[in-house]
Amino acid sequence: MKAVILAAGEGLRCRPLTLTRSKVMLPVANKPLLEHIINAVAENGIREITLVVGYKRERIMDHFGDGLEFRVNIDYVFQDAQLGTAHAVKQAKDHVEGDFLVLNGDNLVEADTIGDLLRGKRGSVTLLAVEREQTMGYGVVISENDRVMKIVEKPKEMVSHLVNAGVYIFSQEIFDEIDETPLSETGEYAITDTIQSMIQKGKIVSMVESRSMWMDAIHSWDLLKANAVMLERCKKDIKGRVEKGATIKGEVMIGENSIIRAGCYIVGPAVIGKNCDIGPNTVILPSTAIGDNTSINSSVEIQNSMLMNDVRLGSGSYISNSIIGASNSIGPHFSTEVSRDLMIEMKGILHHAELLGTVTGDDNAVANRVLIRAGKMIANSCSIESGVIVGRDIPPGSIVV
Amino acid sequence: MCGIVGYKGKRQAAAIIIDSLKRLEYRGYDSAGIAIFNGKAIEVHKEKGRIIDLEKVIPDISGTVGIGHTRWATHGRPNKINAHPHTSGDIAVVHNGIIENYQQLKEKLSQSGYNFVSETDTEVLAHLINYYHKSDLIEAVLSALKEIKGSYAIAVLCGNELVAARKDSPLIIGLGEGENFVASDIPAILKYTRKVIFLNDLEVAYVDQDRVTFFDTEKREIEKKVNTIDWNLEAAEKSGYEHFMLKEIHEQPRALHDTFAGRIYELEGNIVFDGLKLTESRIKDISRISIIACGTSYNAGFLGKYLFEQLSGIHVDVEIASEFRYAHSSPGSLVIAISQSGETADTLAALREAKSSGCRTLAITNVTGSTITREVESVIYTRSGPEIGVAATKTFISQLAVLYLLALYFGKIRGKISQDRMKRMLVSLKHIPAQITRLLNDKEMIIKFASVFKSSNDFFFIGRTLNYPIALEGALKLKEISYIHAEGYAAGELKHGPLALITQNTPVVAIATKGLTYDKVVNNIKEVKAREAPVLAIADEKDSEIEKYVDSVIRVPTTEEIFSPVLSTVVVQLLSYYIAKARNCPIDQPRNLAKSVTVE
Repeated sequence: MKAVILAAGEGLRCRPLTLTRSKVMLPVANKPLLEHIINAVAENGIREITLVVGYKRERIMDHFGDGLEFRVNIDYVFQDAQLGTAHAVKQAKDHVEGDFLVLNGDNLVEADTIGDLLRGKRGSVTLLAVEREQTMGYGVVISENDRVMKIVEKPKEMVSHLVNAGVYIFSQEIFDEIDETPLSETGEYAITDTIQSMIQKGKIVSMVESRSMWMDAIHSWDLLKANAVMLERCKKDIKGRVEKGATIKGEVMIGENSIIRAGCYIVGPAVIGKNCDIGPNTVILPSTAIGDNTSINSSVEIQNSMLMNDVRLGSGSYISNSIIGASNSIGPHFSTEVSRDLMIEMKGILHHAELLGTVTGDDNAVANRVLIRAGKMIANSCSIESGVIVGRDIPPGSIVV
Repeated sequence: MCGIVGYKGKRQAAAIIIDSLKRLEYRGYDSAGIAIFNGKAIEVHKEKGRIIDLEKVIPDISGTVGIGHTRWATHGRPNKINAHPHTSGDIAVVHNGIIENYQQLKEKLSQSGYNFVSETDTEVLAHLINYYHKSDLIEAVLSALKEIKGSYAIAVLCGNELVAARKDSPLIIGLGEGENFVASDIPAILKYTRKVIFLNDLEVAYVDQDRVTFFDTEKREIEKKVNTIDWNLEAAEKSGYEHFMLKEIHEQPRALHDTFAGRIYELEGNIVFDGLKLTESRIKDISRISIIACGTSYNAGFLGKYLFEQLSGIHVDVEIASEFRYAHSSPGSLVIAISQSGETADTLAALREAKSSGCRTLAITNVTGSTITREVESVIYTRSGPEIGVAATKTFISQLAVLYLLALYFGKIRGKISQDRMKRMLVSLKHIPAQITRLLNDKEMIIKFASVFKSSNDFFFIGRTLNYPIALEGALKLKEISYIHAEGYAAGELKHGPLALITQNTPVVAIATKGLTYDKVVNNIKEVKAREAPVLAIADEKDSEIEKYVDSVIRVPTTEEIFSPVLSTVVVQLLSYYIAKARNCPIDQPRNLAKSVTVE
């Protein structure tokens, strides 16, 4: 069986991180979401993968190449216009034969999740359902035993706790059905509309409920949760050099050519990439992921945070519950304020964040002693001068004095 | 620079040889051919053009031993007759290199009754082996090779026997299970095996399906070491990109990171090289440096001149390898040879010349175990992975990276760079890959400019000091892949002649990043603007003045002046790529060019 992974979308709600890369390339435990998914697929013996790519596709192609490094064969198809999931699946038509697996590139799954679906395959469509306390914003599955009777998109009231995970096994007949799918009210060809119409025609659409991992990161800050979950699965593995006088506790992974200097105190689960230079006297606390080629100066404290690749962080800084995008150069005494139950406004809509410091995009230059108020974000390619207290969201390319 | 493949094993040879040849196509592609032993006789098929053209004319051939070739003409026009393999009786030969005394040999063989059908030097070789062939193929090959002056890598097929040999031209043996391979380059056989043996000059290999035996010129058996290749074939695939060149441009941040990995210690202000055999006192004693290279590597070496002079205070001469014949080297001088493939014949010849005068030698190359690595004292590898596009991109950037590291390292040892300055430089250098990623994320301006100027017949690239070599590289890239005539000029030199060529139809790309000569470049821009030429400036992102003088600006991230050429390089690469693409050129395999030039 082959797998088709949908990876063409931008992920608007994950801005500013998705200004420079698509959502599937956002890292969790130092690996893009998509890489975790490809690993889970490969562990089930599925080695032929088609990626449907669009937005910032070169970033995806640069990372995965032809898949050899990830023990799979990858080919790419382009979805130029974002016309919905059904349209995306259709792009892969010439790349699959027989039954095939379809996944979203931005929902985190583990091997067992996919295994459950593969074992329960039945009928024209088999879909994966997972239980959710909160079903708002999801497609809810109404079923009799394992037969799907209806998918209710974004229901206003509680109809079921089972939501559609967006992982499917399709037979070839899906392509004919997609051709008959009308444009939805939101201007997209949705695969759930295709499935709904198949149900109405009396075709067998079955479901498998999985209790294995399935996570979706709707907002950028949800990545911190996913990061913590994935780091729990890490095992201690130190490839770099740890100087005498540094302490490493618990499950900590340190990549090749990285140096942990004397006086550092690192508590796992945590991961530090390759070619990093950390410390001296820097404290890294659990659920922290630090990307490749990152330099962190002396006396820094970081907890429950993600720093992406090529970040440079000045001495005496404090980062908590935050995501720092790639290639930020941050001066000394940078500080993130953290707050609970924030309401964050994006495009006029308020979104809830349980516990958050900041999220910054890529390529920012931050001078000395900058404080970021809880929940405020810096986009990309900004320049923040010394002593600034950032109390509002900063748009791309800004110079803040 | 042609490609050679040979196979003997259990599988159908034709399919494997065709597949391997496709991976060598970048070495030359004006014609191709194969010879397979079908159990009774040798069947030969050739075709002008590319491997796919050959594939179309090949019938089903049953046979498990054979040879194949992709050709890039040096003797005789590219056509079907001149394509290899060349045959003589029951002997078929594929050859890479040049036979210098082929005229004399041709006369001699003609008198003995041999009939020549092609215009190639290789046919001489086939007849000569046939002439000596009684019963032992190895003896025949050895006798023939003794008469030949010049360079060669050959694979010879006679019945079901396969023999390979080399002199001054690369050849490797691949070891499989129940099958063995001959190839002129590693990517050809990587799909089948990772175990290879590098053949040395004047060695002959007898390739059987279960074992390979090696002989010297006197037919004494010799022992050879087996190497394992740790490359991924991934790099030989396009992975979603339309062209290898764009894929390779995008691989530059990674290539740089790999070239830096384990060599930079920023906090200590230290650089560490594994392959450098020069002690600190020897580095202090270096009186001058000669850099020898060809093509793109020459442009890298040219920037190297500025780097060594500015950072380490050593006088540097840069020479085109094919012009470096009269070495004025002394024991106090260091010769740095730069060759991506490590097989560039001109560079190797110049290196040998230099070595004979007793100077120290250092090679910068991308290919482990290549010929150049066996000829020099110190080797520093660029770790770019294999590069398939004929126009060098990521290997150029990695060569620059190595030159920066070397110049900084020499400068520190010679007391020209303080520990603190070194630390600051290394911090900036380490930031370059991320800045390239940023450039690659936003190519709209470049694509727009390319589409506007795709129909121009002439281009000028100008720059001063550090940016002058990048102007040369920009012009070279554009020439190579878009077939547009382009000149790289020192900006101050325009008024001494070429300004006469500047009109409203000659776009000028001015590399005008901030630095010592910025004001002077702006003056040169005004000179060309006065002649109504459209000007594109490559400028610092913080430069708010430049747009007053030019038509378009492409911004590069701010870095130290000395590192800015790396970022400008990426812009000229992309510019050339998108212009060539807009003109529908065969970007990865431009006409008349080959990836590594292994003839002089």
